[in-house]
This record gives sequence, structure tokens and C-alpha cells, in this order.
Amino acid sequence: MLGRRGARGRGLMTVPAALIYVGLMVVPVGYAVYYSFTEYNGIPSQTPQWVGLENYTRIFTDPTGDMHSSLWVTGIIAVVGAFGVNVIALGLALLLRRTTPFTAFARAVMFYPHVLSALIVGFLWQAILGPQGAVNNLLTGSGRSALPFLSDPGWALATMIAVIVWAQLGVQLVLYLAGLQAVPADLQEAATLDGAGKAQVFQHVTWPALAPTVTVTIVTSVLSLLKVYEVVLGLTNGGPGDATQTWAYEILAVSFANNKVGLACAQAVLLIVVAGILSFTIIALRKRAEEGAEALS
Amino acid sequence: MSARFRRGAIGASALGLVPVLALTACSSDDGGASGGGDQVRMLVNITDNLTQAKWDELVAPFEEETGVDVKVEGPSGQSVAETFPTLLAAGTAPDVIQSIFPTEDTAPEILDLSDQDWAQDTPMADLYSTDGTINVVGVGMQAQSLLYYNKELFEQAGVAEPPTTWEEMDAALQALEDEGVKKPIGFASEWATGVQVQEIWHPQQNVTTPGWQQAVAGGTSTLGDQFQPVFEHVADWIDAGYTTADDVATDSGTQEANFIAGDVGIYPMGSWFTTTLAASPPDFEVGIFAPPVDDAADHPGPMGATMAFPYMVWNGTQAKDAATQLVEYLVTDEDAIAAQAAMDNFNREGLDTSANPYAGQVQELLDAAPSLVVPGNQTVGDFALPVAGFNEKFTEVAQGLWQGTAPADAAGQLTAWYDAEAAG
Repeated sequence: MLGRRGARGRGLMTVPAALIYVGLMVVPVGYAVYYSFTEYNGIPSQTPQWVGLENYTRIFTDPTGDMHSSLWVTGIIAVVGAFGVNVIALGLALLLRRTTPFTAFARAVMFYPHVLSALIVGFLWQAILGPQGAVNNLLTGSGRSALPFLSDPGWALATMIAVIVWAQLGVQLVLYLAGLQAVPADLQEAATLDGAGKAQVFQHVTWPALAPTVTVTIVTSVLSLLKVYEVVLGLTNGGPGDATQTWAYEILAVSFANNKVGLACAQAVLLIVVAGILSFTIIALRKRAEEGAEALS
Repeated sequence: MSARFRRGAIGASALGLVPVLALTACSSDDGGASGGGDQVRMLVNITDNLTQAKWDELVAPFEEETGVDVKVEGPSGQSVAETFPTLLAAGTAPDVIQSIFPTEDTAPEILDLSDQDWAQDTPMADLYSTDGTINVVGVGMQAQSLLYYNKELFEQAGVAEPPTTWEEMDAALQALEDEGVKKPIGFASEWATGVQVQEIWHPQQNVTTPGWQQAVAGGTSTLGDQFQPVFEHVADWIDAGYTTADDVATDSGTQEANFIAGDVGIYPMGSWFTTTLAASPPDFEVGIFAPPVDDAADHPGPMGATMAFPYMVWNGTQAKDAATQLVEYLVTDEDAIAAQAAMDNFNREGLDTSANPYAGQVQELLDAAPSLVVPGNQTVGDFALPVAGFNEKFTEVAQGLWQGTAPADAAGQLTAWYDAEAAG
């Protein structure tokens, strides 16, 4: 009797949190889904007009020629950026895993960019890499040609990916460091005693033990790269031309800014769906790999 | 405030718009209308020049005379353009809105001022009215079709007079290039690229097709046809090396500093640049001329201009009379107009420009222009294109010229975009 009352009490205690979650997460997302099937400008004088799949059709047919190019840009950023940030973060984590005064300092330095606002990161690198930025001033001052970091479409996209990797490195590094702490030291030591080299220890002991961490870091980095916006604003504002316009930029700086709330919501819903599919796919692949490894052992 | 901030802020604020809309949908219909009989809320742009203290000082005589309490509010986000729709959606719109214009979406929310006699006589009221309906009024105008030039560099290059035709313009740029001027003509990145390309084209465009926006909207012309000639001029300048891809990756602040440093021969920019020049006068003499046209007999052509210090009254205000009186005071009272001119530069017939000689030059060009015309990003009135987002798209397309896009292709992109947007 007391147990049932206790359970009910505990259940009641979750109600405020559940209400907040529903009010701030479920309801807005529900409205976003609803608006995605309407033509709506967000102004009270106009009620949302149900248009069915029209906004989604517009996205797929892309009559203005803006959206598909931003999809490509976002895809490139997500794939190249996720690869870059994870490879570099893992490499640095392996270098910095032992705690010494230097590594503690280095970790703080590596994490520092993440503390900065992404908009500030964009402006900062624009000042460094712009046509009259610090790097090009140094290059031209030493008699070399300036580099088109932000003025050539290809360079601008590569520059933006590099800046995003720089800005996101800190969090992934911390995750990898935490993951490395969880790798059993006795297993590594046993492997070394058995004559395994460093590369073999990493391949057969460290890497398998890091697998859950890798899954988390890949999923979190891909998700954050899919919605890159502030760095774009600060660094290139989508230019030159449309070379660095991302999907999130299309949603926030084009559709929402022009009061196309219905279209913007459809774009946002698709982003959520794609992010969800990618996340579950990565997790499923990881799980299958783990199951395969267990079956072999 | 730069357009980049404005645009970015709009986007960032949109992150929070869906929850606001959701809350609005759940709220009652009375919407918490603001203002009482004795209080008027006015949403204004706050910048380094337009400070809260200056706004308070501006409205103080009105408060004293009428007893109306004016509550001046800065934007809750980065700009009025971002804040107003959000406040509308939340049902807490201010009574008076400064610095932005009605759009097709917001126009139904704005009070019709056509029955106010004083509104008819305000600057550019005719160009901003829709079928005679006035819902925004201002105190003056900001000229757009202006080319600032470095007289010293012109003299060194042997260019005696500023060009009046495109041929003369090409020759002047070639002379500057031959003289070794770093940047014969300076374009800038982001919003500035599109605005500058339009600025240099307003006169000839409106000589060729007066009321071109109506021609495009009516289907007798296309957006691409309207801008292909200027794209060809710009592409020729790019090919000749008068402007490089670095320009469209250099922000307007830096490019203005380059002009002031004497590195730029010609700099297309609106009249607001005179404030910067007056604050940091260059070592050389600065001249300003109207953009070239095909035939010298047509020079100067119609001058592109926008309304300065625009004010609107929210239709849902509970202090309609007081809000309308406040706007009347701001746009007709001589002291109030002078105070606003001191806060931020604009032009107006009869306005004293002795404090800013560059503004005086602009006024002379305005006086000489046969007419004023509004730019393509105009969002209200008979000359507004029936699509949103023109400037952003135009900038994106224009920047493509520096990346090798052919003028005909750029024009085709504009037409395709317009057709898709106009079709909904």
C-alpha cells in the first residue's frame, strides 16, 4: 500500500517536468509540423491557410534554385566537417590523455573556442582570413600573393569547414578524453606484454573500447554541423554568391526573414527528419558492428 | 547598423518565433493591446547616433505640450525589423514604429494615414503610397544613386570632369587603372554588393523604363531584362581588373576606410556615407556625382532614394489619436526635423547642411535630379515589386559576376527567381 502511494508520489513529482517538456518542446514542434502544411506569415491578421504538401513540393522542386545548392553545401559540411573534427579530436585526445601541467593547459586551450559565441568565431576568422585580414597582410607584406580564403567559392567553403572544425574541436576532444579514461589500462598493459606494438594496441584494444564514444561524437558532430548558421553569418554571410549558404541559413535568413513561416517550418521539419534518420542509422550501424564483433569472439 | 546584423538577427530571432506563435495561438484574442490614452509606446532603432537619450530628448517637447507620455523602446533583438513582427505575433505591438516600412504581410496591421492632411505633404509620401493610401511617413530622404570620388586621383589620372555617360565612366576607370590606383572602383561584400550595383543603375534604368517595377509586375518586362545591362557593365569592369573578387569579400566598413585612405578612385554608396566622411574627413577632396547614363543629354537621370526616418502607427493601438499626433509632430515640426537631422544624416529641401559639406553636395545632386525613384527592395507602395527578399537575391546573383557568371546567366537567374516567387 505504502509502496503504491510512494510510486504515485514519485509519478506526481515528474508532472511539472513533463508539463514543461511538453509545453516547451512538444507543443512548439507540433505547431511547426502543423505550420509546415500551411501558408502563413506569422502575422496575426492572417490565419494559416492549409496548403497540404505544397511547401514540401516547393522544397523538392526548388523553383528558385536556392534550396538544393544549400543542401549540397550542408551535406559537404556535415561529412567533411564530422570526419575532420573527429579525426583531429581523437588524435589530440591520444596525445593529451596523460595528465601533466602541459596537457592540462593544452586541453584548456583546445576547449577555449567552444566557449566563444559561434557568431564571434565567424567575425574573428573573417578578420584573420579576409582579403585584408591578418594572414593576407602577412603574405603580401612578405612579397607573396594573397590567398582567396573568403573571396573564392571553393576556398570559402573549405575555410568555413576549417573554422567550424576549429570551433567544435573542444567538445569532441573532451568526449574522447573521457572515453580514453574508460579504456581498461590492464588490457592495454596485457597487450603490450604480449608484444603488441602501439598501433596494434590501439587497433585491437583502445579502438573497440572507444566505440560507444565514437558513436556519440559522430552523432553529436553531425547533428551540430547540419544546423550550422551563426558561423556562416559571421564569416561569409552565405557568400560569395550562394557558395556557403547552408540549409539552416535558408531557413533562418531567407524563409523566416521573408515571413514565409510555413515554408520555413517545412524546411525545419525536414531537417529534424534527416537528423533523426542519420542519428539512428549511425547508432544502428554501430550496434550491428558490436554484435558482429561479439559473434566473432 | 549593418544589414548583416539585421539579417542575422532576423534569422536568430526566428529560432524563437515558433514557440511565440504557438503561445499566441493559445492566447485570447484581445492580445494585450498596448497603450492607454496618455501613453504611447514607440519602437525605434537604437544605434551609436540614435541613442535612447536622444530619442527621449526628441519627444520631450511633444510630451510637454500634449501631456502624452511617450515610452521610447529599443528593439528587443538586433533590429526593429526583427522585433516588430515578433511583437505583432505576441500581441504586444508598439503604437508607433520607426525605421521600417510596411510589407505586404504587415500592411494590414498599419494605420491608414491618408485622411491626415499633413501626411500628404511629407517627403516621398507619393512614392510610398499604394493607390493613394499612405501608411508610412518620413522626414526626408536618403539619396542612393551617388558615386563618391577622390578628386586628387582623378586629377592625377587626367580625368577633368566626373563622367556623365557609361563611355566616359569606362574611360575614367581605365585612366585610374593606368595611373596605378589600387582600386579604380570599390565594391563591398554582403548587402553592399547588391545595393551598389543597383545604385549605379537607378538613373539609366528609370530613363529606359520609368516605373520599371510596374513593368516587371505587369509582365511587360522581366527582372533579368531590367538588370542585364548593368551586369554587363560590371562584368566588363571585372574583366578589366577595375574591381576584383576580393571586393565582394571585403565588408563595407573596410572598403569605406580604403576610400578614406585614398586607395579607391570611385565608391558607389548612399548618402549615409556622408556621415562617415564628415566624422573622418580624408586628406583629399571628395566629390560626388550622379551615376552615368547612355546619353549625356539624359544626365543627371532620376535619383534613387529612400524615405528617411519612416514612421508608422499600429492599427491595433488603443492610443490612436495620441500616436498619430506624435507622428505628425515628428515629421512636421521644424525643431523635431532639425533634431532628427542632427541625430542621423538625411536630405530635405531647405534643410541646413552647413555642418556637413558632403551632405550639401548630395542635396545639390538631389535638387538637380529630374525626379526621385525608389529602389527594387521597396516593400510598400505602387512601385513595390510583389515579391519579398529582392535585395538578398540580387546580391547573391550580382556577386556571381565576380565568380565568372555571365551577365546573361545572372539575368536569367533573376528572372527565374522572380517568376518562382511571384507564382507563390
